[in-house]
Amino acid sequence: MPGRIVEWIDQRFPLTSFVKHELTGYPTPRNLSYWWNFGFLAGFVLVLQVATGIFLAMHYKADVALSFDSIQHIMRDVNYGWLLRYMHAVGASAFFFVIFVHMARTLYYGSYRAPRELMWWTGQGLLLLLMATAFMGYLLPWGQMSFWGATVITNLFRATPFFGDQIVIWLRGDFTVGDATLTRFFSLHYLMPFIIFGAVLIHLVALHTVKSSNPSGINLADKDNIPFHPYFTTKDLYGLGIFLIIYSIFVFFIPNSLIEPANNIPANPMQTPNHIVPEWYFLPFYAILRSVPNLVGGVLAMGLSVIIFAFMPFLDRSRIPGGARYRPIYKLRFYLFVLDMFILGYVGYVPPTTQTILIGQIATVIYFASYFIIPFISVKEDAWLFKRGLPPEVMALIEKEALDKEERKQKRLRRQGDIT
Amino acid sequence: MRTLLKIVLLSCISLSAWANEAVLDKVNLENDLKSIERGADTLMGACHSCHTLKYVHYRDLLNFGMDKQKVEAWRGDQPLDSALVAQMSEADAINMFGKAPPDLSLMVKAREGGPNYVYSYLLGYYQKPDGSTGNHIYPETKMPDILNSGGSTEGKQHAEVQAQARDIVSFLTWVSDPHEAERLRLGYYVIGYLIVLTTLLYFVKKQVWSKLN
Repeated sequence: MPGRIVEWIDQRFPLTSFVKHELTGYPTPRNLSYWWNFGFLAGFVLVLQVATGIFLAMHYKADVALSFDSIQHIMRDVNYGWLLRYMHAVGASAFFFVIFVHMARTLYYGSYRAPRELMWWTGQGLLLLLMATAFMGYLLPWGQMSFWGATVITNLFRATPFFGDQIVIWLRGDFTVGDATLTRFFSLHYLMPFIIFGAVLIHLVALHTVKSSNPSGINLADKDNIPFHPYFTTKDLYGLGIFLIIYSIFVFFIPNSLIEPANNIPANPMQTPNHIVPEWYFLPFYAILRSVPNLVGGVLAMGLSVIIFAFMPFLDRSRIPGGARYRPIYKLRFYLFVLDMFILGYVGYVPPTTQTILIGQIATVIYFASYFIIPFISVKEDAWLFKRGLPPEVMALIEKEALDKEERKQKRLRRQGDIT
Repeated sequence: MRTLLKIVLLSCISLSAWANEAVLDKVNLENDLKSIERGADTLMGACHSCHTLKYVHYRDLLNFGMDKQKVEAWRGDQPLDSALVAQMSEADAINMFGKAPPDLSLMVKAREGGPNYVYSYLLGYYQKPDGSTGNHIYPETKMPDILNSGGSTEGKQHAEVQAQARDIVSFLTWVSDPHEAERLRLGYYVIGYLIVLTTLLYFVKKQVWSKLN
């Protein structure tokens, strides 16, 4: 009977072939390390956030007079409301952690390179959507940090030429962050995850066209690809188990370590907190914003710091396939960049002093410089490595790529010749 | 992450930035019913005339298992579902102290340092040479030295004040997160379960992958 139902469906909808091609039989490089688990984990956290968020929204009230109280209602009176809220709050941090690792993996292994540029750019779009969603969600508890964080960030739009002030009012729906801001942020915070779902779908369609990259950076022969199921289903589930253990430690034992104490004070527009800090995942970018003494410059620098990742396919001119594996200088740059992110995060967290501002400015310069030098180091490094000699399989691949390129060029020339 | 960051931060920051930050005493919190009830008792006597706990209802105290007679005495003729509202009206309090006394329901969570902050604050009073009292932890405070910690700096009296402060903080900690005990208990089960599950998944993965080659 089930067989007949499937057959009936298959005549009308490619169910079996879809499952076979895109899920169970999807060819995946066998040498993927655990760093390749984080895409799946990001998808899992997205579902977790939507699931907990839907239930939180049933008890939450988006109204400046009620929202702070409604959070306490969830924490105290709703059955397992505290669990829902802590899962959602810790989930936001988990989401960024997973995404940052996912991005770091891409940068390290050069997964952004041809033919995966669109994967990288859709991922960049997802990062921006995620940041917007997290930022708007943070206003909803209507605590001091919620209010002042939203005030500071919406204020940045004042840097827009000509209509700066109007845009800030348009975003807030009022002259200050108020009820109109809260209700629209709630509405958008509920909408954005579904846009993220759509963007994830595009990300996955692109993935299934170009397939996964792999640690060697070399395109694998068919024999080195294995079906997704059961190999990567089991590997992803094992990784998920590890993730859930760490996540649960935060949810059950230290949930408040990620919530600023000041956010347990209801928003008070008349009283600025001593020290306004964003959530940890925004700290490096916040540090860059503060490092530039002028508002427009700071906003531009911060904006560029977030979208600079998108330029990687253009910046990386190396002919050696993959990322850091065969390229020691690129590897060094990668680690310096990660270290620089941590320094910026620290600078963003502490109250500004002349000392930390100076450290922040140096780290900001290093942040951007580490991108602008990539074209130069990739060319120099290539020359040095070719002189020193590379593993034969890498050389073979480079030669093959050069041949392909030449062939494409000949074809194009021939086509043009036909037309004229 | 934030705690981690703080540890890194505290260990490497130069002292100049934090010189005006008072060092907090560490409080050994009690989380048994007896201490929390004692804390409630002290709080109802010493703090409740001015401070409200708007998220706590008399019924919550009963449900937690506190002595029925005590709760009845505290609530007087107010309904069981009424919140612990200060006896003094806010307007009177502003008249008297210059600002409204803050709500205490979330006080422990709302301060950097948590219970240690509130404990140190309660014990942070000292006698100024002109006879008035000051507070090391929060110099701008308008609250009088209600436990007389400034006047009892030694011996048995000092120990008594410390015990009272500890009980109050224990109560306020429970009040700020009433499901904490349940959360921790559930946490051990969840993590225990996940460890078993993950171990099994590891062997499944190993078994499946061993078929390769």
